[in-house]
Amino acid sequence: MIKKVLIANRGEIAVRIIRACREMGIETVAVYSQADKEALHTKLADEAVCIGPAPSKESYLSMERIISATVVTGADAIHPGFGFLSENSRFAQLCQQCSITFIGPDADVIARLGNKQEARNTMAAAGVPVIPGSEEAIYDAQTGLEAARAIGYPVIVKAALGGGGKGMRTAYTEEEFIQSFQTAQQEAEKAFGDGTMYIEHFVENPRHIEFQILADSFGHVIHLGERDCSIQRNHQKMIEESPSLALTDELREEMGQAAVRAAKAAGYVNAGTIEFLLEASGRYYFMEMNTRIQVEHPVTEWVTGIDLVKEQIRIASGKKLSYEQEDVHLSGHAIECRINAEDPKKDFRPSPGTITDMYLPGGKGIRIDSAIYSGYTIPPYYDSMVAKLIVWAKNRGEAINKMQSALGEVIIEGIDTNVDYQYEILNHPDYRSGNVDIGFIEKMQRCMV
Amino acid sequence: MKLDNMFKKTRLPKRKGAAAADTSGPEVPEGLLRKCNMCKAAIIAEDVKKGDYICPKCGGYFRMHAYKRIRSVADEGTFEEWDRGLTTRNPLQFKGYEEKLTSLQEKTGLDEAVTAGRARIGGEETALAVCDGRFLMASMGEVVGEKITRAVERATKEELPLIIFTCSGGARMQEGIVSLMQMAKTSAALKRHSDAGLLYITVLTDPTTGGVTASFAMLGDIILAEPGALIGFAGPRVITQTIGQKLPKGFQRSEFLLEHGFIDAIMERPQMKEVLSRLLSFHKNERSDTQKAQKLTNGIRQGLKIPPEMDQAKAWDRVLASRKKDRPVGRDYIGSLFTDFTEFHGDRYYGDDQAVIGGIAYFRGMPVTVIAQEKGRDTKENIQRNFGMPSPDGYRKALRLMRQAEKFHRPVICFVDTPGAFCGVEAEERGQGEAIARNLYEMSALKTPILSIVIGEGGSGGALAMAVADEVWMMENSIYSILSPEGFASILWRDSGKAKEAAEVMKLTAGDLYALGVVERVLAEPEELTAQEICSVTDPLADQIGEFLERYGDMDAEALVQHRYDRFRKM
Repeated sequence: MIKKVLIANRGEIAVRIIRACREMGIETVAVYSQADKEALHTKLADEAVCIGPAPSKESYLSMERIISATVVTGADAIHPGFGFLSENSRFAQLCQQCSITFIGPDADVIARLGNKQEARNTMAAAGVPVIPGSEEAIYDAQTGLEAARAIGYPVIVKAALGGGGKGMRTAYTEEEFIQSFQTAQQEAEKAFGDGTMYIEHFVENPRHIEFQILADSFGHVIHLGERDCSIQRNHQKMIEESPSLALTDELREEMGQAAVRAAKAAGYVNAGTIEFLLEASGRYYFMEMNTRIQVEHPVTEWVTGIDLVKEQIRIASGKKLSYEQEDVHLSGHAIECRINAEDPKKDFRPSPGTITDMYLPGGKGIRIDSAIYSGYTIPPYYDSMVAKLIVWAKNRGEAINKMQSALGEVIIEGIDTNVDYQYEILNHPDYRSGNVDIGFIEKMQRCMV
Repeated sequence: MKLDNMFKKTRLPKRKGAAAADTSGPEVPEGLLRKCNMCKAAIIAEDVKKGDYICPKCGGYFRMHAYKRIRSVADEGTFEEWDRGLTTRNPLQFKGYEEKLTSLQEKTGLDEAVTAGRARIGGEETALAVCDGRFLMASMGEVVGEKITRAVERATKEELPLIIFTCSGGARMQEGIVSLMQMAKTSAALKRHSDAGLLYITVLTDPTTGGVTASFAMLGDIILAEPGALIGFAGPRVITQTIGQKLPKGFQRSEFLLEHGFIDAIMERPQMKEVLSRLLSFHKNERSDTQKAQKLTNGIRQGLKIPPEMDQAKAWDRVLASRKKDRPVGRDYIGSLFTDFTEFHGDRYYGDDQAVIGGIAYFRGMPVTVIAQEKGRDTKENIQRNFGMPSPDGYRKALRLMRQAEKFHRPVICFVDTPGAFCGVEAEERGQGEAIARNLYEMSALKTPILSIVIGEGGSGGALAMAVADEVWMMENSIYSILSPEGFASILWRDSGKAKEAAEVMKLTAGDLYALGVVERVLAEPEELTAQEICSVTDPLADQIGEFLERYGDMDAEALVQHRYDRFRKM
């Protein structure tokens, strides 16, 4: 069993991991940059090692320094958290070379899943649905038409060298296709000097549905249900919940099985997440697999009653999973709101600074994972997420009410936060009725303007 | 709120025999990490290896082993080693020397501090020698001297170019005076290699000092250096001890040498192979066309007319036009007329004058040497390039490049654009007059065609020092004169305000000079000539240069020099 863990991260996730270790009787080592001398994770851990100057590249991303800190403190494992080095296969490999347990999957698994094309091929081979698309480059509209027919409408025509939305057109019917293809191709030739095109099924107004899986080193894989993360701004998730209104028990079963197959096909060990796009039609497509603990893991913890970080450590210690698939039941409804130090009125510009006063809510069914305290100065160098507010209730309606009540109690003085903005989202009739997709925030913003 | 020591920590029961060594703990395997000598950071050894032995953190250069260096520049599998296994006679019977060598040979797998042979770089055949600092700091004993000399001799015999990567602490103390003699021996062999018209490139790596700097390292036709390498004759420690002064930062580093005119360019490792291959290919000997029949066209001025509108503009308007801010400068002409321009720096004596740029380039596939007086495009550049007023170092750089062109049978094309040679104390201290005179003297007998084109101001001796050519051409709105109209007016009439009147009487326009027989051609310009529209003049100019090269390229050296002599003899 692991005896001492070095947490190669900062902020609330570092605190979260320290707490799990402490409960398990495992010693903890925090690493911190010069800007994080007063950070909560630095103060909370049993030991703390300064690993360099404020810029991440010279501290939280410096593999050599983190490995050195591990050796010096004699920690036998590293928990990478999320972000930073968590999905860096090179780092996982270095840990292995230095006889340090990396709490996550093997280096080569990370590498394989990090390669989009390879991940897609692996999933397709395992029978996990992927977005259908033309295998080969297409140069003329006629060939494109046949490909589009095979793929199924609507389709999107994309330039091989594309970017920034240029050389991209959608088509809903055969009549529309020729026109769309030609326009996109002309645009591509103009913008990139190349008219090589690809055609893909256009996933219209999907929801972001992801499945949490756990896999041990004995080939045993289970899924812990889904999280609906459709509330996103610029691909940044804001609110996550479990379960999703969009899934029937049958669909949950089917997608869960697909997620388990995906993990098995990848030879995955430890906690991971398979992200899908779900169409209103009920069709779903594999997007990518995240090979780390997720920010939004608490919602799954709450509806399943399983502590994911503790399971990660157990799996990394070579233990068998504590649960069988039959033991996993989703009960009630959990919602998480990310609280960021940012100013929604100024295009969500980060708002670092000193917290002069604060009050955070509590009570039944309310959980706060945070790294801030009164008098703490949020440094400008890192991610702006400073806390996560998670609530649980019997059903979605109650959970929303509880979240609103809790958000209403949050007081963080000295910096700007997105708390009021989150409150507005929860008030939105479409959100309340569950009528959302990944375009929700954009639509809401447009209405507000 | 201060949180220091506020939280309760995990308290574990003391492990039994905790003092006993816990063997299962983390451990960095030998060789996984290494330390950068420059920034002192721990770095992953593999990153260093994959990244050309450059520190991924600070960009500093690690010293490279000889065989690794060869692998990094030579085409795979093409290196054929020469003279491996030469051994020293231990000329001083130095105690323990042989044992020391044996142990180094075992440790490094090298036989001596230099490895020589033949290889292909980018497909080009070359002799190649590489010093390895692990072997007694690559000091030069008789084996190093002998291996270098043999490689040079063999390259001479087989008509191969030669590249040496230098690195050395200097002479080998254990071999005393015999070591000193290697300097003369290697230099003598290189002289013969050069006299045979063959190319020699040195690449100076950290450190190149002492007797190696003072012999084969500094004798390259082209001298490249890796960034930040220590290069000098006396080592910095010795200098400090001798003069009792602290040395300036960056003293004796590659950048310092570039500034002081001793190296042609600093080359980063990732570009090294490509650059060497380009230089080799550029100097490939194609002697077939130099023996072409001698056909001197006498009608040098035939069929060329002054553009009809030529006489309408006043001389003073031409003066103003020639000085216009947005008028194309030397670099614009180089960029428009030539391809693959590779700039070479320095005069090998004192400095690298930014007012003169020069190097090699292709003109329609033909290697040429290009030299231009350069004013710069904006105020910042004007200052950096001293407004196109060359110092003695600039003329000496130009002459060095012209001699190089002569050696490799490349025509020289000069672009003249200067208000005059730099007038200042430093210029006089370093011999401005001598430098100009030397250029007139040497250019008159340079055994390769020279074409000079006045593109802006042709200011006096400062212009002439780059215009002792087989033909001199002028852009329509350029001027060429004994001195500036302002200077003329102030000397003759003691009033520089009368520059306008002076311009009219000086006969300094292209049309005037053509009529006087000082220039052979006048090249028409559009009404407004700017750098953006340079093609309107360089397109027809390129055809005329092509014609010039055809005409003079075919002449034999004697006839060419005689023709140039006669050109000035009649003036």
